[in-house]
Amino acid sequence: MIRVRATFEKKGRAKYISHLDLNRCMLRTFRRSRLPIWYTEGFNPHPYYSFALALSLGFESSCEIMDFNLNEDVPFDEVRDRLNAVMPEGMRVVKVAEQVQKITAIAKAEYAFSLVSDDTDGLFEAVQNLLAQPEILIEKKTKKGIKTVDIKPDMEVLSCEKNGNSVDISMHLPAGTQTNYNPTLFMEALKLTTEIQFEPENIRRMAILCADNTVFA
Amino acid sequence: MNLKEKIEKHLLEVQKPSRYIGGEVGSVIKDKSKVDVRFAFCFPDTYDIGMSHLGMKILYSLTNERENYWCERCYAPGNDFEEIMRKNDIPLYALESLDPIKDFDFIGFTLQYELSYSTILNMLDLAGIPIFAKDRTPELTQIVVAGGPCVCNPEPLADFFDIFILGEGEEVNLELMDLYHEMKKQGASRIEFLRKATQIEGIYVPQFYSFEYKEDGTIERMNVSDGAPEVIRKRIIKDMDKVYYPENFVVPFTEIVHDRVSVEVLRGCIRGCRFCQAGFIYRPFREKSTESICRQTKALCENTGYDEVSLASLSTSDHSDIDHMLTQLIDYTANERINLSLPSLRVDNFSESLLEKIKKVRKSGLTFAAEGGTQRLRDVINKNVSEDEIMNTCRIAFEGGYSSVKLYFMMGLPTETDADIEGIADLAQRIVDLFYSIENRPKGRGVQVSVSCATFVPKPFTPFQFEPQDTREMIEHKQELLLSSVKTKKVKVSYHDPNVSMLEVILAKGDRRLCKVIYAAWKKGCKFDSWEEHYKFDKWMEAFSDCGVDPSFYANRRFEYDEILPWDHLDYLVSKEFLIRENKTAHQSKTTPNCRLRCSGCGVNKKVGRECF
Ligand code: SF4
Repeated sequence: MIRVRATFEKKGRAKYISHLDLNRCMLRTFRRSRLPIWYTEGFNPHPYYSFALALSLGFESSCEIMDFNLNEDVPFDEVRDRLNAVMPEGMRVVKVAEQVQKITAIAKAEYAFSLVSDDTDGLFEAVQNLLAQPEILIEKKTKKGIKTVDIKPDMEVLSCEKNGNSVDISMHLPAGTQTNYNPTLFMEALKLTTEIQFEPENIRRMAILCADNTVFA
Repeated sequence: MNLKEKIEKHLLEVQKPSRYIGGEVGSVIKDKSKVDVRFAFCFPDTYDIGMSHLGMKILYSLTNERENYWCERCYAPGNDFEEIMRKNDIPLYALESLDPIKDFDFIGFTLQYELSYSTILNMLDLAGIPIFAKDRTPELTQIVVAGGPCVCNPEPLADFFDIFILGEGEEVNLELMDLYHEMKKQGASRIEFLRKATQIEGIYVPQFYSFEYKEDGTIERMNVSDGAPEVIRKRIIKDMDKVYYPENFVVPFTEIVHDRVSVEVLRGCIRGCRFCQAGFIYRPFREKSTESICRQTKALCENTGYDEVSLASLSTSDHSDIDHMLTQLIDYTANERINLSLPSLRVDNFSESLLEKIKKVRKSGLTFAAEGGTQRLRDVINKNVSEDEIMNTCRIAFEGGYSSVKLYFMMGLPTETDADIEGIADLAQRIVDLFYSIENRPKGRGVQVSVSCATFVPKPFTPFQFEPQDTREMIEHKQELLLSSVKTKKVKVSYHDPNVSMLEVILAKGDRRLCKVIYAAWKKGCKFDSWEEHYKFDKWMEAFSDCGVDPSFYANRRFEYDEILPWDHLDYLVSKEFLIRENKTAHQSKTTPNCRLRCSGCGVNKKVGRECF
């Protein structure tokens, strides 16, 4: 059994595939590719594959991670090409490689998004003000009910620029098995501090990272 | 903002957005500039239901085989998305190009059930296409057509459609598109095209036909104009092994009702159950060879990546090579880790070794369509299943570890009496007793017998087309009787809403005077009538009374043998004389053997020009 890690894009129309549907979609993609994928043993054998990090519906990504096992040795480039030949529109495998790190090494993710508004100057100022606050409190739904958390200490803004009718932001947010923050949390916090109307667009996950900011592989 | 941007702007606000944006594996994208004829194939229900429909998959692939024709899919949006579409001027669009369907050459609906009619009007309106055929442009574009089983009596929809296509579409659809393509090049008008189209067998252009009615409301006579034929005959495919069958399906992202490969094994049915419309309108019986079935199964599984296959037909067990075919399919699917689902197989005469194999793959529960509670009534409806058979199969199943059985019945069948209703409860009780009489029955579990009762709906082109439906009072009485006849908690009874069946029979047996009723009901907000949570019975009744149409004229009146029926000018190969003969035989509680045992002279063989067997 050979352990494999694929990095794939999910863009365009594919961003409307929910996480649940992505599972089914991959199962069929594997079957179409006729790759010798490893099946679980036991009463109800099924192909084994798992996604490192769920992606919210409507987000695009260039760095989704999927692990699976092969029964036979197939060159990584061939695995990539055979999957790409039968992938749905908007999904493409960019890399197939060995599983170097454990899934638990994932610590954060980089997101980029645009906030579209009629009043970009005002919105830009509101964003700056929010970022200057000592804490950014939001209400987060957890299994135990609604909890107020401060996302400020875990949030790292990489860039924030005015760009035509939008404010473009990129940031690191915690991700992985422990804490997972979505950029929508930041947008909700922003809505609480300003009257200015804005709409998020083009939310993209740019990278999945380890604690030391290296790309998870 | 173009249409795609408009759609995407709101897509995340709706349930299951992937239903509205296309891009599925297997969907066909073409270069518009190289396409001559565009066809929007519309299913008048939501994506989840419409995407499951086999006929649409066949015609979609078939049309797209032609390089210069492009067939796209279109479904009814859910209420949440419809609201957004109306608010933001998003017209109904096709899923491949995301172009508005109003700009297409053909807008084709499939009529699978009568309760979808109001949804059709809603879709035309959402598309921005005039609802009445007479209001459409005189130019040659935007031809609204329909096919499918309900086209055997399309009169209640006559005012809304330009063309009805009778019978199987594989050949005639392309003939129609070819004619369109040709006449479009010549600069012909809409009416010129429609006139010419009537010369193609199977094409019915309702605007060339008109009806006069007698004082008592029945039809006096039908008039034909514009050189259209007096009688329109349905189309059939002669050779099931030569007819086109797709090697690929569109594979949805979200789960749909029948989310699997489905392979057609045969068309038509030899059984002749007298209530079953499909059993008559799809005659003659024609089967595909085992070789074709296996080849198509393999191709579809490989191309779609589905890990489940089901066989599509009215009665798969009647395939003449069933033993060999199933053996081959089971071997292939087991080897490829594919689930083979085998619904409603009669297992009476299979070989031991095949039975063993079937047992291994079969997961679904045990169901019986008994339809009638007593042998007498089952003879009336020609439902060829005896109590011995039911008991035997239940015994084998219980011994094999099953502890629940589902039985389907109809209520309100012709000649039905209280004794037949009590017979339903008795039969269920005997199954319960049987369970406890078996020594090696499943331990630790009680038996569960579910009885599901639908209200009988008489349909055109069946021997029961003349029959009235029971009134609501009669059905309610029978429901109460059944409930009080059941003496144990081990038997669970469920019903369909008789108000739904009433609308179904009216739309099934109706004539052109219903067009205005359907329009009025849609105006009052009716759509998705087959969905319990959307069905608005009171609105429909208001529509009938506003239009001065008496629903019981269609639902509860016996249609006379010598009466001109609204569908008499449509020829589904089965003769009216035969249906009358069968109706009389039914009232004598006599059965008719299946077509393989003996031909009962329905007339199909004469018209097709060859014997069925
Ligand atoms: S012609 Fe005879 S065998 Fe053929 S469908 Fe009719 S009754 Fe059956």
